[in-house]
Amino acid sequence: MTRLNILAIDDNPTNLRLVSDIFEYEGWQVYRAEDAENALEIIDSKSIDVVLMDIALPGMDGLTLTRKLKQNSATRHITIIAVTAFAMKGDKELALNAGCDAYISKPIDTRHIVSEVEGIHLMATSEQDTTQHVEDGTSGDDAN
Amino acid sequence: MKIRMPPERIQSTKKTMRFLADGTVVEWTPSALLIYGYRVDDATGSNVLDLLSSPLRRELEESQLKKACEHSGAMFEVLRHRKDGSPVYVTVAYQLGSDGITAMESQLEPRFKPDERMDFESIFREILDFTPDAIVMSSSTGEILHTNRQADAMFKYEPGELVGRSIGVLLPCHAISGYVALPNEHISQARSRIMGFGPDLNGIRKDGLEFPIETSRSPITTDNGVFVLSVVRDVSYEKQAESKFRGLMESAPDAMVIVDSEGVIVLVNSQTERMFGYDRSEILGKSVEVLVPMRFGSVHGEHRTRFFKSPQQRAMGVGLELHGLRKDGTEFPVEISLSPLETAEGTFVSSAIRDISERKLIEKALNERNLELISAADSKNRFLANMSHELRTPLNGIIGFAEFLGDGKPGPLNATQQEYMEDILSSRRHLLQLINDVLDLAKVEAGKMELIPSEFHFTKAISEVCAVAKPLLLQKYLKLSTLIDPGIDIVFLDQQRIKQVLYNLLSNAIKFTDPSGSIDIAVVPIGPDRIQLTVQDTGIGIRTEDISRIFREFEQLDTGASRRYEVTGLGLALTKNIVEQMGGQISVRSNQNRGSSFEVLLPKRQGEIFL
Repeated sequence: MTRLNILAIDDNPTNLRLVSDIFEYEGWQVYRAEDAENALEIIDSKSIDVVLMDIALPGMDGLTLTRKLKQNSATRHITIIAVTAFAMKGDKELALNAGCDAYISKPIDTRHIVSEVEGIHLMATSEQDTTQHVEDGTSGDDAN
Repeated sequence: MKIRMPPERIQSTKKTMRFLADGTVVEWTPSALLIYGYRVDDATGSNVLDLLSSPLRRELEESQLKKACEHSGAMFEVLRHRKDGSPVYVTVAYQLGSDGITAMESQLEPRFKPDERMDFESIFREILDFTPDAIVMSSSTGEILHTNRQADAMFKYEPGELVGRSIGVLLPCHAISGYVALPNEHISQARSRIMGFGPDLNGIRKDGLEFPIETSRSPITTDNGVFVLSVVRDVSYEKQAESKFRGLMESAPDAMVIVDSEGVIVLVNSQTERMFGYDRSEILGKSVEVLVPMRFGSVHGEHRTRFFKSPQQRAMGVGLELHGLRKDGTEFPVEISLSPLETAEGTFVSSAIRDISERKLIEKALNERNLELISAADSKNRFLANMSHELRTPLNGIIGFAEFLGDGKPGPLNATQQEYMEDILSSRRHLLQLINDVLDLAKVEAGKMELIPSEFHFTKAISEVCAVAKPLLLQKYLKLSTLIDPGIDIVFLDQQRIKQVLYNLLSNAIKFTDPSGSIDIAVVPIGPDRIQLTVQDTGIGIRTEDISRIFREFEQLDTGASRRYEVTGLGLALTKNIVEQMGGQISVRSNQNRGSSFEVLLPKRQGEIFL
């Protein structure tokens, strides 16, 4: 099993702890942030592969943060998965339109979320590779 | 030669003068002085034609004179001029003598009519009589001097009967002073007045009947003083037409204001008086701008000028908020339509003005109500979204940690702990279902749940639902049989919601039916357009008095039962909502302890028939 660096963002400490523990139990390196500012500091200093993005955050919300990361060439390779309690019709579309690679609604399924995230990340990175080959040819890419 | 002189005239002929063949006067008698005004000294030595003939007639007189020189005694009637220039008709006979030509003359009396003389007075009378209007000639003091035939006929007098009477007999008492006094003013201004708009005036006939007239009065200056020529026209017909027009204006529901090209109000109806709070006498003759709030006043004039350039019927200020100004200074919203009014006096504009205060109030109220409804729906939707979020957030922690713990991730549990964990986990499913039901129901009620109909095999949808429910049926050893009429084929409905309805009814039946019972699903067509779905069980049934309550939200008939059978109390209410939104009906028949039968009547094609 791949050991990825994951950043869990959630303003609710219980939910942050739950998702962190699940992934740590599987041996992933988990970083935690309770708001967007905190998250950006971690992304700057650590090599993050996957962000589990809560949408409702104090200050900058998760969708804005997603747009910011996806617009920045230094961070747009990071797989962003919305993990949110916004589960009404249209919420998934909002998340995907903001640039999230996938959407998972709360309550999460603790038994399957790790393999699900792993799959999403594999899919997203292989898509990125393809896209970059098409866009940049053989030139070096900043995704790695 | 023949002498055409009537005998009575010859007698009055007297010797007037003697002159030479070249016309030089050599003798001038007192008779000549009387006729022509020249004295002996003036006349003697002058040429007779220079003295007496007018330049126009000189040639004629010359030839007459020549004739006279040849035929003594010839007699003529001729028009001559006096010393003062005035015309005079004379009969003249010339006698040729050795000492010249002697003229015998007499002045013709005015009653005699020489052939070439024009009788102005009789022609004048005839003209007057042929004029279609009635004409009354009066002195400056109002004494009638002459009336024409039409005047006599109009006022029902015998010809000539009015002469010598006061013109006042033709007018009602109240109008006399003004009318008689007026000519002096006319005379002093010495110009004629035309008929037209003016103060209403009535004439009065000999029999006392009054009738509407229009008059024009012209001063005529003569040697005998100033006379007044009044032309009188009977305007009964015009007044009738006008009163019809006024009647039309009065019957209009709107305020009608007629304005001339200068913007002067010439006519209003009583609706205008009421709407603007003016008496009509206060605004007639005023500028229409008195009815317009100050801030619109200046542009109003410009608009009017433009209207008169291409007058055509149209609504005024389309898309603009127009206001009227009442006498008391208050404003009110109006709607105005304009149309040109062509008359003999020029083009006017007729405006119909409607007070739309009430309509504006209703519009405003409706708009406010709409906004309220929109904001109510908005806040309900926002509330639902928040509710969903707020419920799911703690649920995430509860369910997640319970699963995590139950799966023994942090370490193994003992048997009792494991058992408790199972209880928590099974409650979790129920709680999640409850939340979803609540939110679904709220969405239906907020009108937010959209139905997306599509064509699908009804039979297939039923078997899919039955497959999902199979584990539950097996758990309770329940027997399920389905009877589907082969006539039921493809339907056009929201497949997801149909499945939800069927699942709700089926799981309801499963919950309330004790082990070893049975459940029957039947689908039959009702006519060409409808189908009936029946879910019948052998469960605990519903008391008659409770049947009406079961489709209400959170109506759990028996708390004990609900605990025992694990229901949310929302399933049936939600089911009913969905069915009705599809245009269907749901009903239930039940006997306590002998089972229930839920019947759903649905259109085959949503939106095409409502049951």
